[in-house]
Amino acid sequence: MMDCEAIKRSLGTWLDGALGPLEAEAIERHLEVCPLCLGERTRLERLEASLKSVLEERASGIAFEPFWGGVRQRIEEKRSRHVRLSDWATPVFSPQRLAWAIPLIIVFLIGLFSLEGFFPGWFGGQSRSNLTAVESIDAHGLNVALFRQSKTKTLVIWLFQHQEGEDESSGESGQGQPSF
Amino acid sequence: MAAFQELVARYYHKVFMVVLGIFNHREDAMELAQEAFFRAYRKIKSFKGGSAFYTWLYRIAVNLSIDFKRRQRRNPMELREAMDGVMEERGELGKDPYSDVQGRELGRRLMAAINDLTPGHKAVIVLRAVEGLSYKEIGQILGCSEGTVMSRLHYARKKLQEKLAPFLG
Repeated sequence: MMDCEAIKRSLGTWLDGALGPLEAEAIERHLEVCPLCLGERTRLERLEASLKSVLEERASGIAFEPFWGGVRQRIEEKRSRHVRLSDWATPVFSPQRLAWAIPLIIVFLIGLFSLEGFFPGWFGGQSRSNLTAVESIDAHGLNVALFRQSKTKTLVIWLFQHQEGEDESSGESGQGQPSF
Repeated sequence: MAAFQELVARYYHKVFMVVLGIFNHREDAMELAQEAFFRAYRKIKSFKGGSAFYTWLYRIAVNLSIDFKRRQRRNPMELREAMDGVMEERGELGKDPYSDVQGRELGRRLMAAINDLTPGHKAVIVLRAVEGLSYKEIGQILGCSEGTVMSRLHYARKKLQEKLAPFLG
């Protein structure tokens, strides 16, 4: 048997229909015999009804049109910034144009880097003439060339076969010079 | 845009009631409710349908109201003036179920009592009163458990009953 304090604690939950069947039944039985808790129930119901009616009354004067006008204005203000940006960007970034633009850009870049082969250094990159040191070391019949690039500090090691004919024809130039 | 307009038409009144219950200032509540719909419009693609649309919408509105309420503490005199205006309006409309003097006083005291609750307690009691939402739905909106909703509701009702005892009989 639940006492009055326990009933009062659960009364609101019971009115909300959120109690289990056993507890709900216990409350109903108690309310039949307890005028104090019945009075509490009446007060709680009156509070809920007052709350709802007061909130409804306070919100009743709001017409839809002005409300929607405020929402639409917010949306359009946001959209206008959006639209300006998309108006500017759409002709450039439309899928049809992108379909042409991407291969064109690739071809252009390939062409650009190919020109570097004909005009070393024109593209602002490291030119071949910027090699600061080329060394040739004879090791067990193989020549090892070290290319040192001044800015990037890249080392390229190139191994090539020592040719006898070359020694005979350019014996003097082979002294201390790389042959490649 | 037309589809969204229909959604606004369906829910604006309830959303406005909830925001008004939490914020307790008519003009600001209007602004906040409109802002809530605007944010819903902007984020509509992020609504996955895991919950009901109105639950998601109320969540935006309630969070917005609570954030705004915490940032801006209203002058009690301003609140009183706003409530007086509402009471006058209720008199003009003639729809007040408690149309006698005691009923008007109950409405006035009730709003003042709600205003003294914390934003979290206000949100729970207003959501329950306005929409009759289940504890689970209120928990989803506020991001808390059903047990928390239950205890907040109990506390809020107790406080309101204490303050309104002479009017509730």
